[in-house]
Amino acid sequence: MINFQLISLDGVKFSGEAYEIILPTMDGEIGVLPGHMPLISVAERGVISIRRKQNEPDDMMEHFAISGGAIEVSNGSLNVLVDEADASDDISEEEAREAMERAQKLKAEAKDQVSLQQAQNLIDRSAVRIQVAGLKRRGRRG
Amino acid sequence: MASTQQLKRRIGSVKNTKQITKAMELVAASKMRKATEAAHRGRAYRQSAHSMLARLNKVTEINEHPLYKKRPVDQRLYIVITSNRGLAGAYNSNVIKSLAGSIASDKKQKIKSSVIVIGKRGAQFLNRVEGIDIVAVYDDFSDKPTANDIRPILNTIIDKYTAKLVDEVCIIFTEHKSNILQTVDNLTVLPASYETDPDESEGPSLSDVTFEPSVNDVLENVTERLLEVQIWQALLESIASEQSMRMLSMKNATDNATEIIDDLTLEFNTARQAKITQELAEITGGAEAIK
Repeated sequence: MINFQLISLDGVKFSGEAYEIILPTMDGEIGVLPGHMPLISVAERGVISIRRKQNEPDDMMEHFAISGGAIEVSNGSLNVLVDEADASDDISEEEAREAMERAQKLKAEAKDQVSLQQAQNLIDRSAVRIQVAGLKRRGRRG
Repeated sequence: MASTQQLKRRIGSVKNTKQITKAMELVAASKMRKATEAAHRGRAYRQSAHSMLARLNKVTEINEHPLYKKRPVDQRLYIVITSNRGLAGAYNSNVIKSLAGSIASDKKQKIKSSVIVIGKRGAQFLNRVEGIDIVAVYDDFSDKPTANDIRPILNTIIDKYTAKLVDEVCIIFTEHKSNILQTVDNLTVLPASYETDPDESEGPSLSDVTFEPSVNDVLENVTERLLEVQIWQALLESIASEQSMRMLSMKNATDNATEIIDDLTLEFNTARQAKITQELAEITGGAEAIK
């Protein structure tokens, strides 16, 4: 088992044992299983999925929407350091969609490079949140 | 002496004011508690970032990295944290005083200063001062900021620093030492500093650790995290301080209102009694005259 800690600016979001953690990194998605080699890498904005037990089916996995950050694998523990991490249960799909619409409007109205970038950033953020909110729904059905 | 009618009206209005200040005091107290809790929650983040840096320090010379290397200061950037609202005692004026002092001493040393300001109050002040380069104004932060809010600030300072447009970045904020003591602090965030911890030479060997995509990319990212948490904590400490000071000044206002109500009530009673006495005197006088 891996001792997994997910730390955001807003505190520790997940702390405990897990069997498998799937993370988005700069070089693509990686899966961390027990016995993973020591690694320090950079996380991208995306979805972290956690499988608590070895035989847990996919639709029981826990999901977090994260923004970019740093990850560290060492001696059977995984530390993930990100600005924001929201559990799928804490995200309302409706709100995320509204945020997306607002962000797209901002992008359409953006006048300079900076505000365009900020709007794009908000769009990316909302996209991940919508994705994670959708994952929760599937989990409930199963 | 004011008429009883007038006194009554004044008592009523002071009572209303007291209700408002009392409510503001309670609101500030609860907001302060939330902000201090949030500031404490950032600690785990800071520790983790530090321990990652300690590992990185074993494979690379951190202090040689551009974000850490000190260079002669010709241009200094300040991040100033003020509030959007007033009625918080000396909160904003303390911060502004500290900023004005720093800018004055920069001028003597021929250092050009520029400012990123958070909060409407600071922006209002800086607009009146000439010769200060305002890089950006953020006046739409709520009492519960998110990591997304401070992203643009972080990107701005890193871009400017790596492009050598500024040589040092300081953050001026109010430290929340306790509910009754808050002090203005001036913290240098860039160049970042890393001090070797004497205990860290222990720990596992790093010869077999993989860095993806590269040591430098990882170092940059972890440094960014560390800067971010510094800005974040400064922001939350400031919010906590603002609320503490508002709580205290509103408590004083409530106490003053109580005192005024007491005084006015006394005056009102005296006036009322005087009126009754006078009426009685008139009645007895009238009765005597009829006899």
